[in-house]
Amino acid sequence: MRIRKELERIPGHEAASHRIDGWWWLVAAVIGIVTILALLIPDPYWRIVRFVSDGLLVTMGVTLIAFILTLFTGLLAALGRLSKNKIIRGLTTIYVEIARGIPLLVQLLFWYFAFPSLIQAIGRLIQYRPLERYLANPFAMAILGLTFCYAAYMSEIYRAGIQSIPKGQNEAARSLGMTHNQAMRYVILPQAFRVILPPVGNEFISLLKDSSLVSVVAVADMTRRGREFMAANFLPVETWMMIALLYLVMTLISARVVAWIERKTQTEDR
Amino acid sequence: MTPEPIIHIENLHKHFGETAALNGVSLDVYPGEVVLIIGPSGSGKSTLLRCINRLEAFQQGIVIVDNIPLTTAENINAIRTEVGMVFQSFNLFPHLTVLENVAIAQRIVRKRDKHEAAEIAFALLEKVGIPEKAADYPNQLSGGQQQRVAIARALAMNPKIMLFDEPTSALDPEMIQEVLDVMLQLAKEGMTMVVVSHEMGFARAAADRAVLMDEGLIIEEDIPDVLFSHPTQERTKAFLSKIL
Repeated sequence: MRIRKELERIPGHEAASHRIDGWWWLVAAVIGIVTILALLIPDPYWRIVRFVSDGLLVTMGVTLIAFILTLFTGLLAALGRLSKNKIIRGLTTIYVEIARGIPLLVQLLFWYFAFPSLIQAIGRLIQYRPLERYLANPFAMAILGLTFCYAAYMSEIYRAGIQSIPKGQNEAARSLGMTHNQAMRYVILPQAFRVILPPVGNEFISLLKDSSLVSVVAVADMTRRGREFMAANFLPVETWMMIALLYLVMTLISARVVAWIERKTQTEDR
Repeated sequence: MTPEPIIHIENLHKHFGETAALNGVSLDVYPGEVVLIIGPSGSGKSTLLRCINRLEAFQQGIVIVDNIPLTTAENINAIRTEVGMVFQSFNLFPHLTVLENVAIAQRIVRKRDKHEAAEIAFALLEKVGIPEKAADYPNQLSGGQQQRVAIARALAMNPKIMLFDEPTSALDPEMIQEVLDVMLQLAKEGMTMVVVSHEMGFARAAADRAVLMDEGLIIEEDIPDVLFSHPTQERTKAFLSKIL
């Protein structure tokens, strides 16, 4: 605290987190363009916005749920990769390599089209009716697909964060009688979380954009609703310009929030 | 009848891959004793210390601490709660305040409640002379202050033995004495201590025994004054001539 106050006394070194980020004007500009278009030329722009607004909520929902699941699954995978147990380490490494090695679009298609068929085939094999009649819920499969892929990348971020904490921290914790899990929970992870906040934020933005891929597996997200509007109205330029602007609003705001978190953790680290 | 040793090390071997670190070390430490380990860098003195609470695994030999053999994971954790350790680089937890640093293991490992842990932590910070820093974070403290917090953190577990791994080597010269003073006080109170250090003043004032190690072996041991002024081994003489 005291050092921070000292720093603030030096001219030009005002605590960065208190300053308004200079790039918010870009966010305001894009929101302004969307508003002006919708107000001045309501047909088709306001119609597009109204038409895709339910898809916008789906996009946000898919992204948020998949992101939260990714945070947990990614942590488990990272701990698995750092485990002393060879089998756990081997299995999680195979998972990460597979999930990162296959295009996300192919993974989504697999979970939606192939996975339910496999379940049904297994059901026929063991003659278990509920499995035979298994039908995929598009929303659930889309979230499963996004989480499966993104958790692998997230686990690498966690792993890098955990490994960036000096070995002496773990030794000090263990020398006080903490178990491996206690040292992780109370000493290593709280420090690692600070380190990985910015890259995790960037993963959120990537996930938000990649969530548009779920439009090919029967989820009515904003991209899919855009395709539907275009098909019904034959207005490709207006439709995709508006969809692109709406995505930009979401990603630009997210990027500002990530940048704010980044500055905040840096000033806290002094 | 001589008392039982509180640390019994027998024929300890340790190697890192091809490199041998310990080549059959045997050492007994008795309750209340202060043992100083000296020797050139790479002689295995820190490794020996770290084998006592099993921060280093070893390939061969016996280590028994307070009648508990270092074998199973439960035993190792039991020993670690009885053995405090102070590191060259302090290793305070930077995300916790000074008070939390001293309190956290009490709460998690000793299962003390919040108030009791905080009271004990505060009392120990007074003992090491920096109660006014309780609410600060480690990176706001000088090296000497950090090391004193590290000592308080280890003491909070009520250890029977304290291990010091070059506790003053990372400190600026003017801060060494404040740390040594705390260690001297501990020694006076009868704490069993094993100290890897080249602080000859501390050795003369507090150590019951000085042990010289080289190439993973104990070369010679004696009461510090005798070892420093009348070494019998050539390697001891060579080493002492370099540091005295």
